Amino acid sequence: MTVIRLSYGTAILIFCIGLYTIISKRNLFKTVIGLALMESAVLLLIVTSGYIPGGVPPIIPINGVAVNPLPHAFTLTAIVIGASDVAMALALIMKLHQRYGTVDLDKIRGLRG
Amino acid sequence: MTPVLAIVTPLAWGFLIPLVYLFRKSLLKWAIPLFEFAIFAITLAAAFSGWRQYTLSFLGGWPAELGIVFVVDKLSAFFLVLVAIGGGGAFLCSYGRLKSGPWRYYVIFFLLQGAMNGVIVTGDIFNLFVFYEIFSLAAYLLVAFTMSWQAIEAGLKYLVMGTVGAFFILLGIAYIFMATGSLNMAILSVSLSQIPKETLTVIAVCLLVGLFIKIGAFPVHFWLPDAHSSAQTAVSALLSGVVVKISVYALIRVSLLFFLEARPNIFAVITAVGVLSVMGGHLMALRQEDIKRLLAYSTVAQIGYILIGVGVGTAAGITAAAFHAVNHMFMKAGLFITAGHITEDMKTRNISELRGLYHHRRGFVVIFTILAAAIIGIPPLSGFMGKWYLMLASVSAGNIVPALALAIGTVLSALYYLRILSAFYSPGDAPPARENPYWPFLVAGAFSVCCVILGFAPFFPPLWGVFSEIGICAMDRAGYVAAVFLE
Repeated sequence: MTVIRLSYGTAILIFCIGLYTIISKRNLFKTVIGLALMESAVLLLIVTSGYIPGGVPPIIPINGVAVNPLPHAFTLTAIVIGASDVAMALALIMKLHQRYGTVDLDKIRGLRG
Repeated sequence: MTPVLAIVTPLAWGFLIPLVYLFRKSLLKWAIPLFEFAIFAITLAAAFSGWRQYTLSFLGGWPAELGIVFVVDKLSAFFLVLVAIGGGGAFLCSYGRLKSGPWRYYVIFFLLQGAMNGVIVTGDIFNLFVFYEIFSLAAYLLVAFTMSWQAIEAGLKYLVMGTVGAFFILLGIAYIFMATGSLNMAILSVSLSQIPKETLTVIAVCLLVGLFIKIGAFPVHFWLPDAHSSAQTAVSALLSGVVVKISVYALIRVSLLFFLEARPNIFAVITAVGVLSVMGGHLMALRQEDIKRLLAYSTVAQIGYILIGVGVGTAAGITAAAFHAVNHMFMKAGLFITAGHITEDMKTRNISELRGLYHHRRGFVVIFTILAAAIIGIPPLSGFMGKWYLMLASVSAGNIVPALALAIGTVLSALYYLRILSAFYSPGDAPPARENPYWPFLVAGAFSVCCVILGFAPFFPPLWGVFSEIGICAMDRAGYVAAVFLE
């Protein structure tokens, strides 16, 4: 049980680290890293929620108690979504870098007001 | 009419376009409008069948406990009609301007429409998240489509904020799954009231923070003015008119089904955020010089009005919110289309330089005036009626502060819209000669006529009965649960 609690706590800690990275860092690549961190944190939480002590893989024939396979399906879907978000962000950052020659938010003349 | 078709058709069209392009380029000229017309018709058909009775479709034939279920009730039907009309109008504007040239644009456009229909009809919370992300990704791409530096920057800002919001929603869904072991919204609306209050509070906070970021409510609104003002004209109209309403729909659905009985103080939070958005949006709009940014900040304020209606948490409040949502769709889409074409004509977005347009672009300016009068809330136009019912709903629920915010907001919006109108009607030089665009004029004109007609809706009981049924149906949680379980 302790291990599961530790895992839940770790997930929230990583989520907060990702959020902090996005808020505080001025480098656009670090922002994307923050996004990826937040995604992994939520995925960690979902995967852990399907865990049963002593569970076996949910493949027929099942010997014993199988773990919940539903979170695995969610995780796969969410990984695809997160990957497309990150890929899109990197593509836009590349375009910005071509124009400004930097990925520092302070040097990019932002849309302000 | 099965609701699955309303999702599958736009997605299929989106992926068919590249094939049509490879097969014969000249076919695209006919195929794209035909596809859009088919989507329009199918969406309306799904909406009408859902209006008569709950329309269900079980994916793969699994019952609601095991599989994904699509549900169309009156609330969904209303938003499906909104998407069909708003999407159709934006499509006509973009097709009139771009023709069938950039086929990639239409791929994204159809994906956006399919995913929006998906968010509206789905009855499964994780499925809602998936469709939500598809439509968000399509929206980021549409914002950045022109590849100008403003568009790319606005798209990136929108993407980062939108993704943070999406992960908050996903975190909320993960907690829901851990607490109840289920994802079907009808089951959750029963089982979420039995879990500990503290857990429910955490879930509510995660979902609301995510949805507020996606809606663009005041404290986290700053991506919205950039994204809505940097996109092309038709995309701005689509974003402000339709895309934001999908988030409003998700908020109404989630808050009413999950938290109305178990955690009613969530609605006080929604009202407070609505009041903040009204004041913040109007005050920020006052100091804008750029006409499209001004309209975008006005969207923040109008979303605040709708949130106030949702936050009342009664049938009257939901009715008023739905009525104002459709009003705002017509008003803001029309305003963005007219303003977009005027600024392209004049090659500037600065309000003080947009002078003398009444004498040279009379049609557009007259339409803009009607729509601006409607959004300020001059009786008997539709904006007045929307605000009137919002005020009535919030006062009869015993809440005076939102009503005061509505009144002050009306004065503030009159200030800045009159500033634009005084520039338009003052004398000035003619813009360089340019043919009058046909489709945008027609769409904006039709939207302004709709605003006038909707202003008289409350006086016709059959028409107003449609709106009051939406509120009653949205509050009917037991009916929704019974319908999903085929009782």
